[in-house]
Amino acid sequence: MGIGPQSLTRNPSVLRRSKVWTFIREYYVAYVFSGPAILFLVGLLFVPMVYVFYLSFRQVNLLLPAAHGFVGWQNYLYVLQSEPFWLYVRHDVVWTLGSVLGEYAVGMTTAVLLDQKIVGRAFFRGIIIVPWLVPIAVASVVWTWILDPSYGILDYLLKQIGLMPTAVDWLGTPSLAMLSIIFINIWRSFPLYTLMLLASLQAVPKDEIDAALIDGASAFQRFWMVKFPYLKIASIVLVGLNVMWVFNNFSFIWLLTTGGPITATTTPAIEIYQEAFQSFNFGDAAALAVLMILLLFVTFAIVRALFAIWQKVRAPRPIG
Amino acid sequence: MSFVVRRRVASTVTYVLLGLFSIYCLFPVAWMVSTAIKPASQVRTDHPSFFTGQPTLINFLTVLEHSQYLMYARNSLIVSVFTTLLSLTISVFAAYAIVRLSQAPGVRQLGSLLLVSQATPPVLLVIPIFFIMSDMNLLNTYFGLIITYTALGVPVCTWFLRSYLSNIPEDIEEAARIDGCSRVSLVFRVILPISLPSVVATGVYAFVLAWGSFTFGYTLVSSNAMRLVTPALSLFTGLWTVEWGLLMAAAVLNVIPVAILYIVVQKYIVGGLVAGAIK
Repeated sequence: MGIGPQSLTRNPSVLRRSKVWTFIREYYVAYVFSGPAILFLVGLLFVPMVYVFYLSFRQVNLLLPAAHGFVGWQNYLYVLQSEPFWLYVRHDVVWTLGSVLGEYAVGMTTAVLLDQKIVGRAFFRGIIIVPWLVPIAVASVVWTWILDPSYGILDYLLKQIGLMPTAVDWLGTPSLAMLSIIFINIWRSFPLYTLMLLASLQAVPKDEIDAALIDGASAFQRFWMVKFPYLKIASIVLVGLNVMWVFNNFSFIWLLTTGGPITATTTPAIEIYQEAFQSFNFGDAAALAVLMILLLFVTFAIVRALFAIWQKVRAPRPIG
Repeated sequence: MSFVVRRRVASTVTYVLLGLFSIYCLFPVAWMVSTAIKPASQVRTDHPSFFTGQPTLINFLTVLEHSQYLMYARNSLIVSVFTTLLSLTISVFAAYAIVRLSQAPGVRQLGSLLLVSQATPPVLLVIPIFFIMSDMNLLNTYFGLIITYTALGVPVCTWFLRSYLSNIPEDIEEAARIDGCSRVSLVFRVILPISLPSVVATGVYAFVLAWGSFTFGYTLVSSNAMRLVTPALSLFTGLWTVEWGLLMAAAVLNVIPVAILYIVVQKYIVGGLVAGAIK
């Protein structure tokens, strides 16, 4: 009585249903397992991303609920015209470049040091991870204390050594504040670079290093010609992710200087917070957030293009 | 001969540099502890010293008795523990699907999507999430904080667990599947016991992330009774501007749970991070 294989293929609707059924039977476990993760990803990351676009075209001021409504590009015009947006972007570029270059330099130096056959390598590695364990709120309050102009230990030590005649207000002087927060950010963030670069260094095949040694390559040549190519992927991942994080960092700058003194360390991320939670202009804040996303996309597109050109130029010419 | 000398110079330079970097890393932490255990008279002085003749716990007692630190810590503990449990449960299954069931269309892409979402900076999400939570009456609630932190935790946890799980040979599962074990009990009976250390390490990472994160606890909570401990620390900074002894004691109290957990599972976390980045 059952439906034979012939009738299955002849009746398209049965065929389709059976295909759907097989698909479900075969894959439902995968979707049930990954479902909750997808739900969270969509609900709390993608929906908000879309929602921020929507908000950026609306007047949303918690103090003026009656005025809510669609305003077109008005928020963008306001943000771009009446606020020193590009000044804040410049601050952000300094903050991001300074932090990421510094972190990379310190991370690379420590990774190279730890890559040698030395006694106590695990011990030193353990110490170098310490800053990264400290929650940012703690790191901020501790550094504020160290840099305190009246009783801070750093000013005291610098005066003792004779490097500085008078105390300096590191976080309170407009020309020094940015430098100080970059320094603190490097302290807090470089350990991740150390760990990842060290792991990549240790994955360099030993025979390649030995071959370079036999060829009489100097320590610098061995690093640059043999090891560095193996660090490329880790470097790209590290720098790429960190540019994204540092460029949009809110908490560290806010905790250390709240964007001050005056606006010396204000970046668009700080401005987003102030617009939203101090002026209650959520529409303007949303427009700022969208501009930040666009800026990052443009930056990454440029970097990728430059990288592609660079690779093409360096590619070996075909023989013959 | 000159080779030996050069080797010796090189290793001396290495140790000196490593020593300097160690001071750089440890000094702020040591200074925090040193200030926290000093009596008030030795904190604000023209001649600060690293060591104190009269170590005291008075700063810690003052913080615990005269501030609501314990209440904030309890809030953080509740939020972090539930965030950890929820993130882990979701991530174990998601990671398993990505590693073993990736022939289902879209599941492989989920892995890369999680990675991309990891790059989303919190400050860009804070405005929409604030609105969503406000519409759902979830501001100033544990639930709102827990689901927000879980959304931030799931990508990292899945990323870690994926690299751990992909190291488990598939044959181990075959035997259980022949015995008629379902996928769910397979995860619970086979995968979890084998990868317990890495699952615990991932959980610790999720806990530390939730405990230490600032932006959402700062913006989604306005009532004092619901305040989390990390944002509370910045509140103390305004409250006790010059009471550095108290501030450092509060800072030490904030670090201690995180530090202990981290030290216990350090090896796995470092391994997971590195594997996740390189593979």
